[in-house]
Amino acid sequence: MSGLPFPRLSPQVLSDDGNELQFCSTCAFSHACMSQGMDKGALRELHVLVEHIGPFHAGEHVFREGDPFEAIAAVRAGTVKTCVTDRDGHEHVLGFHFPGEVIGLNAIDGHRYPCDAIALDTVMLCKFSFPKISVLATRVPGIQRELFRLLSRDIGRAALLAGDWSADQRVAAFLLGMSRRLAARGFSATRFQLTMARTDIANYLRLAPETVSRVLRRMQDDGILAVDRREVELLDQDRIDALAAPILRD
Amino acid sequence: MHSQTIAFDADLARRYDRPGPRYTSYPTAPQFHADFGEAQLREAVQASNEEPIPRRLSLYVHVPFCFSPCFYCGCNRIITRDLGRSEGYLARLHREIARIAPAFDRDREVIQLHFGGGTPNFLNPVQLADTVDVMRRQFHFADRNDSDISIEIDPRFCDPAWMPALAKAGFNRASLGVQDFDPKVQQAVNRIQTVEETRAVVDAARSAGFRSVNIDLIYGLPAQNLEGFGKTLDTVLQIRPDRLAVYSYAHMPHLFKPQKQIDETLLLDGDAKLALLQLAVEKLTAAGYVYIGMDHFALPDDDLAQAQQRGGLHRNFMGYTTHADSDLIGFGVSAISHIGNTFSQNPRDLPSWEVAIDSGKLPVFRGMRMSEDDTLRADLIQSLMCQGQIPVAALERRYGIHFEDYFASALEQLQPLHADGLVRFTPDVIEATSQGRLLLRNIAMCFDQYLTPPAADAKPRFSRAI
Repeated sequence: MSGLPFPRLSPQVLSDDGNELQFCSTCAFSHACMSQGMDKGALRELHVLVEHIGPFHAGEHVFREGDPFEAIAAVRAGTVKTCVTDRDGHEHVLGFHFPGEVIGLNAIDGHRYPCDAIALDTVMLCKFSFPKISVLATRVPGIQRELFRLLSRDIGRAALLAGDWSADQRVAAFLLGMSRRLAARGFSATRFQLTMARTDIANYLRLAPETVSRVLRRMQDDGILAVDRREVELLDQDRIDALAAPILRD
Repeated sequence: MHSQTIAFDADLARRYDRPGPRYTSYPTAPQFHADFGEAQLREAVQASNEEPIPRRLSLYVHVPFCFSPCFYCGCNRIITRDLGRSEGYLARLHREIARIAPAFDRDREVIQLHFGGGTPNFLNPVQLADTVDVMRRQFHFADRNDSDISIEIDPRFCDPAWMPALAKAGFNRASLGVQDFDPKVQQAVNRIQTVEETRAVVDAARSAGFRSVNIDLIYGLPAQNLEGFGKTLDTVLQIRPDRLAVYSYAHMPHLFKPQKQIDETLLLDGDAKLALLQLAVEKLTAAGYVYIGMDHFALPDDDLAQAQQRGGLHRNFMGYTTHADSDLIGFGVSAISHIGNTFSQNPRDLPSWEVAIDSGKLPVFRGMRMSEDDTLRADLIQSLMCQGQIPVAALERRYGIHFEDYFASALEQLQPLHADGLVRFTPDVIEATSQGRLLLRNIAMCFDQYLTPPAADAKPRFSRAI
C-alpha cells in the first residue's frame, strides 16, 4: 500500500515551503497549479498570497465564531475540527479537515466566521487572503475552477449525514470518506489514525459515543477492520464499501 | 503459536547471569519522574476515554501489611500484627477509588481485579468483599466469566474457611506463596509454613470454585539445596497447581532492607543456584507443565497456556495475563497505573500516600509519558516476553520503520547472543531458541534504550537474570 498512515508525514513535507513554481506538496491549490498549466506569472502571484501559519497545538482555536472573516486556509498538517456551540452550551461538530482541505469557505457569505475551527493535533496551515485570491481568480481561470470545486465539495459533505441511516452505515461512511480523502493526499487509504476524539466522531455522526465504540468493536470482531488505540486499519474493503454505499452513493 | 520448549544450558545460564529488569513494564519504573502528576494523569485518562474503542480496565489493589517479615522480600510492605491498621487504610483506599473512578467512561468494562501485597489476606474476607463491592459500585464489571478477580494469599494466615466467602465475593483466582517447604530454608528466611496448611487452602479454594490456583516458589534462597528443593517440587507437583511461578532470589540488601537479616554465609554460589533452576525446569516439564515465559509455568489446559497457543498472552505489572490491551489503574500505596501511553505511580511510603488522599488529590508522585520510540520498544519487548519472538515484519509495518536501520545498535548487541544460539533470524521474525527462552530478559535488554553499560563499581538496580 502506498503512502504513510495519516498523520505521519515524511520529514521533508513540512520543510518544503515550495517556491513560485512548485507549491508545497500538501497545498490545497497544488491541483490548480500543477495540473492546470498556469503560467509562471500567475503562480508567482498566487504564491505571494500564501502565508504559512502554525503550529497550532491540540485544543487551540484557529478562528472563532464571530471573528471577522479575512482569509481561507488550507490544512498542511494535522486535523482541524469545525463546530458551533448552541445556546445551551452544546457543541455540534460540523466537520473534520485533513491536509489539503480548506477551512473558512462557509464564511464567504457574510463578514464573520460562522463557526469555530479548533486544532485536534499539531496543525500547520496555509492562509490565503480572500479578497486577494478573489481578485486573482477573476484573471486566472484555474484558480476560479479550484475555488468552485472546493465550495461544491464542502456543501456536498455537509449533507452526507442528514439521512436516516443506521449506526453501522454512518460509521462505515465516515471511515470510508476519511480513507478516500486521505488517499487523495497521498496517505495510506487503509491505515490511518482517528485524530479526533470519539465524542467528536459521535457528535458528528449523531450517535452516542458508546454506540460508535460498540459498532467499531463489532466490525473488529467481524474482521472488517482492526483498531489499535487511535489507529484504524480497514481489512475488508468490500464490506465497508457495501455498508457505506447508500450514504456515499458511488 | 507453538508452545514453548525450553532447554537448560548451565554454561549459557552462567555466562548470561547478569542484572536486568523483569520488564513488567517498559520503560521501567526508574524512568518515571516527578514532573508527571495529577494533572497529567487526568489528561491521560481523558485521552484514553476518547480512543475509538476505549480500552477495558484492569484494577490493582496494593495491601502493604504483613504479619511477619520474610527476609527475602523485595516488595513494598509494612510489618504489623495490629489488624486495626487495615480499617484506616481501607477508608482511604475507598476514597481513592471513588476519586478516580468517575474519570473513566462508564462503558469501559473491568476485566481484571487483583489484590497484591504485602499480604492481601491481612484483610479479612468481609473487608475484601467490601472492597470488591466498592469497586463494583464505582466501575462497570464484565460478566463473571469474562473477569478475573484474583488475590495473593499467605497460607499461614488464611483460614481455609475464608475461601467460600471469597468465592462468594467474586474471587476466582488465588496465588499462594510457598517459596520452599525445606524447614532449614524456611528458618533462614523467617517463613515457617507447613505443607498441610498450604494444601488446606488450595483444597478449600478448589472446592469453593476458584478457577485456578497458582503457587510461587523461589530458588537461590539461603540454605537451599537440591535434595530439599527437589522434595518441595515433588510436594508441589502432588498439589498440582494450575500455574507455578519459580522466581530467582535476588540478594540486593542495599535496595531491600529486609534482606540484611539474611545470613550471607548460607547463600548459594551461582552454579548451585543454577542447578536448582535446572532441577525445577526438568521436574515441571516432566510433570506436563508448559513454560509460559519468565519464571512462569502452567498446566496445558490452563487459560494462560491456551492463550499462549493462540498468541493471546500479555504481560503487565501483575505478570502474565490473558487480557489484551487494558488500561491499568493501581490503588493503594506504591501502586502503578498504566493509562494510554503513560505510567504513573502512587507514593511508595504510607504517610505520603495518606497525606495525598487526605488532601483530596489523586496520589500520583511520579510517572512518565511514553514517546513513540518507547511505545515501539515496549511492543517489541512484550512480544518477546509473551510469544518468545520479535515480529520484525509486523513492527516495520505498524511503526513505519526499517528494522535493520532503526535497531542497528540493538542488533549489534544481539550478535553475541545470536552466536551463542539464543536467537534465530527468519525473514519475518527474530525468535528465541529453546536455549534463549530462559534468557528472554537478556534478549530484551539489547532493545532497552535506557540501559547503559554499567560502571564497574555501580551497585545493580535490577535483580540478576537467573
